[in-house]
Formats: sequence, C-alpha cells, structure tokens
Amino acid sequence: MTLSFFLVLTAILLLFQMGLLLYLIVRKKRRQRLEEETENEYAHLTEPFASYMTDSSDVRFLYAVKSIDHQQIVLERLLNGYVAFTKGANASPLVKQLSEEFLTDPYTRILGQRNWARRINTLHYIEDFHMRSLAPALLERLKNAGTLDVETQQLVRTLASLNETAVVDELKRFLNVPVRLFIDVFNRLDKANANEQIKTALEGSDEAAKHAALAYIAHSGALSFLPDVERELASSHTEIRIQALKTIYRLEYMSDPDLLAPFFDSSFWTERMFAARIAGIMQFSRYKQTLSTLLGDSVWWVRYSAAEAYTHFSDGDVILAHLSENHPDRYGRDMAAQWQTFRPGGAR
Amino acid sequence: MQTFFLVFSYIIIAYMLFSSLSYILLFMIAFRKVYRESDLDPRETTEDIAGNERTFPVSILVPAYNEEVGVVSTVRSLLALEYPEKEIIVIDDGSKDQTSARMIEEFQMTEVAFAVRAYLETAEIKTIYQSSIFPYIRLIKKANGGKADALNAGINLASYPYFCAIDGDSILENDALLKTMKPIIESDGQIIVTGGSVRIANGSTISRSKVETINLPSHPVVLMQIIEYFRAFLIGRLALSRLNILLIVSGAFGVFHKERVIRAGGYNKKTVGEDMELVVRLHRLLREEKSKQRIEYIPDPVCWTEAPESLEVLRSQRVRWQRGLWETLWTHKKMIFNPAYGSVGLLSMPYFLLVELLGAVFELGGYFMIFGGFFFSLIDPKTAGVLFLVTIFYGSFISALAVLLEEMTLHKYPKISHLVRLYFWALTETFWYRPFMVVWRIQGIFAAFRKKHNWGDMKRKGIST
Repeated sequence: MTLSFFLVLTAILLLFQMGLLLYLIVRKKRRQRLEEETENEYAHLTEPFASYMTDSSDVRFLYAVKSIDHQQIVLERLLNGYVAFTKGANASPLVKQLSEEFLTDPYTRILGQRNWARRINTLHYIEDFHMRSLAPALLERLKNAGTLDVETQQLVRTLASLNETAVVDELKRFLNVPVRLFIDVFNRLDKANANEQIKTALEGSDEAAKHAALAYIAHSGALSFLPDVERELASSHTEIRIQALKTIYRLEYMSDPDLLAPFFDSSFWTERMFAARIAGIMQFSRYKQTLSTLLGDSVWWVRYSAAEAYTHFSDGDVILAHLSENHPDRYGRDMAAQWQTFRPGGAR
Repeated sequence: MQTFFLVFSYIIIAYMLFSSLSYILLFMIAFRKVYRESDLDPRETTEDIAGNERTFPVSILVPAYNEEVGVVSTVRSLLALEYPEKEIIVIDDGSKDQTSARMIEEFQMTEVAFAVRAYLETAEIKTIYQSSIFPYIRLIKKANGGKADALNAGINLASYPYFCAIDGDSILENDALLKTMKPIIESDGQIIVTGGSVRIANGSTISRSKVETINLPSHPVVLMQIIEYFRAFLIGRLALSRLNILLIVSGAFGVFHKERVIRAGGYNKKTVGEDMELVVRLHRLLREEKSKQRIEYIPDPVCWTEAPESLEVLRSQRVRWQRGLWETLWTHKKMIFNPAYGSVGLLSMPYFLLVELLGAVFELGGYFMIFGGFFFSLIDPKTAGVLFLVTIFYGSFISALAVLLEEMTLHKYPKISHLVRLYFWALTETFWYRPFMVVWRIQGIFAAFRKKHNWGDMKRKGIST
C-alpha cells in the first residue's frame, strides 16, 4: 500500500464526509423551516382551538385547521397539549371527533410505513385521543403479530385503552406475557370490563394474569374482590401469596385477622415483613407481642417493618421506648430506637 | 536500526487501521438503534410510567467531598426529578469544608438514630441526619474513606431496591430517572444496571434542572470534550451495550440493582475507577452464574456535567480515568481472552486493553515516527506520510464521523453553525488535542503504580441557575 493509495483513500473519505455534512446541513435547514412554519400555524390556531374546546359552536377553528399546510403536526400538538393538561380530556368527545376526522387517514398511512418510531408515536396518540375508529384495524394488526415485541405491547395497550377486551384473549397466544402488560391492560379497560377480566383472571390458571389482577385490585381499591384475594393467601405459589399480602396491605382491610397468623412464622422473609406491616396498618392489637418477636428477626426489613408497625398504635411510642431499652436483641433495640425519631417514606 | 523503525511503523499503521475499523464496526452497530429510535416522542414513551405505582422506588446517592458550593443546588435539582418514589442520600465523606453544615441548614436536618445495615464495610459513620422539611432527604456524615467508600455507605442506608449514583456536580434532566429506569421496569428486572448519556453543559443554559438553551462553549478544549463524549457515548457505549458487553457506566449517572451490587461486594475502595471496576465485576459474576441479566446504556442525554476548561484540571481527570482503566483491567486480567467469560472476555476486555488503554502507547509511537520520519530520516518520508494519514483517519475522521452520527440521530444542537463548528473542530483533533490526551493517558498508566488515592480536584463554576 503506497502513499498515493492512502492519499486517495483520505481524499475519498473526506469528500464523503463533506457530502454527508452538506446533506445534514440542508436537512437541518429544512427541519428548521418546517419547525418555524409549524410553530406559526400552532400559534395562529391556539386561540380558536381553545375557544372551540370550550364552546363547540365557535367553528372558526374547523375552518382554520382545514387551511393550514401542516395539519397533522399542528393538530397533534394542540390535542396533545389539551389531553396532557386537562383532566379527563382523553374521554372528551371533541378530542375524539377532531382526531377521527383529521387524523384517521394519516395514521392509517403511518401504521403501514417502515418508520418504527413514527408507528410507535402514532399508537400512543391513538390511545391519547381515544380514536375508536382505528380499533378494528389495530385488532387485525394484533392478530397478525407474531412476537410480543415493543410495538406489539404498545398495540395491546392502545387497544385496551379503546376498551377492546379481545386483547386479553390475544395475549394467550404469547408465551411469558409480562405481569406489567396485564396490569396495563386492566388499568386501561373501563371499570365494568376490567372487573370482568379480573374475575376471569382470578378464576383462571395463568399466574401472570392472576398476579396482575391482584396488583390491580391493590391500587384500584376494589374491595369487592376481597374474598378472592384472601383465598389466594393459601396459594401454593409464593409470588401469588406475597402479592395477595401486598394487596391486603394496600386495601387496609381483611375479614379475618386470623388469616394473617401463619405468615409471622413464614420461612419467606417477605411474607413476615408484610404480615408485620398489615398488623401495624390495621392496628391488630392481638399481634403486638408477635411484632416484638419480629423486631429481633434476622432480616433487617422484617425488623424495620415490625418497628414501623408499632408507630400505628396509639401507645406505639411508649412500646418503642420500652423496646429500645429492653428488647433482648441488640438490633431490635437499635431499630426500636430508630423509629422513635425516624420519619419514613420517599418522595411521591 | 532503520529496519526496526520501519517494522515499528508498519505495526503502528496496522494497529491504527485495525482500531479505526473496530470503531467503524461499532458505529454501524450503534447507528441502527439510535436511528430507529431518534424520532420517538420522548414524552409519550415515559408518560406511561411517570405516574405509575409499578415503577421501582429508587435511592439517589450523592457522594460529596468538599462540595459546599454545589451540594445544595444538586439536591434541589434532585427534588425536581419526576419520579413516583425516591429518596435522596447525601454522603459527606469527611469533608473539610461546610458541606454538611450547608445541608443541615438548608433542609432543616436533625440527627436520627438510624439502624444502618452493614452490608458493606465502610469507614466510621458519625451521624445520620434527616430533613424535617423533606423526610426523604438524608445525610450521612462519615469519616473520610474515598468516593467508593462513600457510595458503599449510601448503599447501606438506602431503603429501596435500586440506587442511582450521581456525581455531586451533575445536573439530571427532570425525566432522567424515568428514562433510565424504563428499561429496567420493562425488562421485569432482567436489566440490572442502566447508564445514561452524559453531556457537557458548558455553554448551555440550565435552569432548575431543565436545559433551557443548548449552545456550544467558546473554549476549544471544552468543544473537543463534547466531540469526545459523542465518540465515547454514541459510538462506543451504545454498540457495546447492544452486544451486552458494556464495561463502563459513567460514575456521573447510573442506576444499579442494589442487591446485585451488594452480592458483588459493593464499590471497590482500592481503585480510582470504581465505576468501571464495579460494572466489570458485575459482568464477571453474571457470566460465572450463567445469568441472562443485562447491563444497558440509553443514548438519550439525561445528565449534564461541567467539563474542565483548564488543561491542568483536564490532565488530572484523564490521568485518573486512565489509571482507573488500568487498575480495572489488571484486577480482572483473568477475564481477558478467557472464553469462560464469553463475549466480555473475548471481545470487550481485549478491546478496552488494546484500544482504550494501549491506544495511547501506539499513538505516541506514531507521533514519534512521524516526526522522526519527516525531520530525522528515521523512516522514509513516504512511510511517515502514510502514518500521518492513518493517524488523521484514526483521530480526526472517526471523531468527525461521531459528530455526523449525532446530527443524523439525536441532533440535539439546534443551529447549523453548531454542526459546522463541531465538525471542523473534530477534524483538528489529531493536530493539537489528541497529543495532549496521549501524553496524559500514558501518565495515567504510570500513575497506576503510585497508589495515591484522592477525590480528584475540579474547580467548579456551577452549571445550573
């Protein structure tokens, strides 16, 4: 390889990079111009849009939006802003109507394009704007999906937000469906459909769906499912039992405190920890002595939760003061001392 | 003798061509992913987990040593982070200034009798404080033991299953934690570490943890560091992450699974490259356990840091980095070229040894032969010319390519003048910036043999208003 070879190679590479630089400059310029035009149109339409959303008889916006060059981008921005900052806006009939009228065709086109990022964005927007008109096409798409990749998972969420219960059946086709995806589906369905699906999941044998159903009950506070949750305390699957305990802790209610008793001696520390937490949050006085035993547990989290549990009782500070001096276990004494002054909790 | 120099020159040419090709290969691996995701609407992708109860709570650890100037603003910026549940733990590693006093005063902190778990052995913990305004802000005052020791103390106090280690001088974007935790949440815990991109803040305007205006600094030394970060983060780390062989998660910002780190023994106090050493050790354990868990990097810029403007501070930083690299590779030398460690042993470790560590030695040899060839006839001028062109290719062209990759994908710098300035400065790299780096990196290798530890010294101006 000679000097001239390297000279030619360097010149070619430099020219290639310069060409690429030039292309990127032109592309940047175009993007800037597009951004500028879009910003102008957006600014121009903000007032008529706001007026239309508060009073749909003011149709200036409808005429204006039809006459702009960047209709899709501007409308997306306006609707996104409205949905993000207005409570309950994604159920707004006006958002649905505007998006279905102006965005159905462009979105159908984008979903058939190769650009993966734009397809994902579009699925999010369909969900945000609650575009039911696209549900049949999306369901067809899900039926044809071979893998549960990022796009298919978003497709499932979008369909669930459009209240398509068929997604739960479609999910059965895939192996190892993540628990969080089931939870996302339950969260997005309307209450009646969600409750029906929760019931089916609790009666079924799919552990991921059951786990998700218990988690959903926890944060939705659906007390009507309490008997089902309490039944799962006897499950042979540890993860299900722990989730059932978590759910009871979040519901802050259980029909029979005796159901908790076996968990104080569990060989799984997570179960002992949740038993202590539940005893505390529900102020089960009968377990005060048991909590003292757990204060000397070998696992830090169990000791932590046992001491925390005392803070829920009216005489908790007295008990903690006593235990900080007299508990037989040194770590138990330290933990009791900590909870006399410590305030728990993270930023929420 | 001339034959020796000629052979030596050929070895350097071959080495530089090989290294350049490896960069181009990494570039190609990185390009597909960044390009594919470049048009994603960032708000939409994190919206789902922003108010979600199923995000894992995170403990944010801020090790601080003599940070009285910046510690309060750093903690204030962390308060602004959008994340469902977090706690902030500042670890004052025996500062000689008013670091603790500033925290206690600003956040009205009081002493608490905390029963700290001793998962990891650390220097003596003197006092633990808790804020009465924000109970989730805690301060550990401890005896000096170094950054790794401070982080280990933070891990002992952390309540949550994941911890995020950040440098005291870094500013995180409001959605940084959400973006960084997203892969962990979506993988159902299969990803145990995520590292975010670090960007240089000099020149940009950052206000209340939000980047208001992105701009370029005027100082050429800082400009070159921006280009270097593109090269390291966009080409190197992303491609290595794709192959699950990423060995570095920046100490400035990374999220770790706490139990995994405790099982690995925490941060190593015997090295100045504790961030890299921990990641290599985690890889080692994952391979030894035949685990499928992963360490991942996300390309989106989430953390802004202040880059040194003076050559002296930059020198000290680079010497530390190189020394840390050497110490890590030496500690885990058993893994290099060892098939038992899979692609980490066969690809990643050799890459870091041959390209990242020894690259400086070859480059120095290259500069020596170019001068020797042109001015002292050590080799014939044609070979010196070839060497010169290959050096430009290895240094400037690859860096310029990184600038173009950034523009093709993330295009975070808004003006055309930014792109042009960065590109042409990148082309000058071989002629002035790289020789400095080469010398300092070699000094770093020598420094590894002098076992003096310190926290590093950075004169801060502050990056957020």
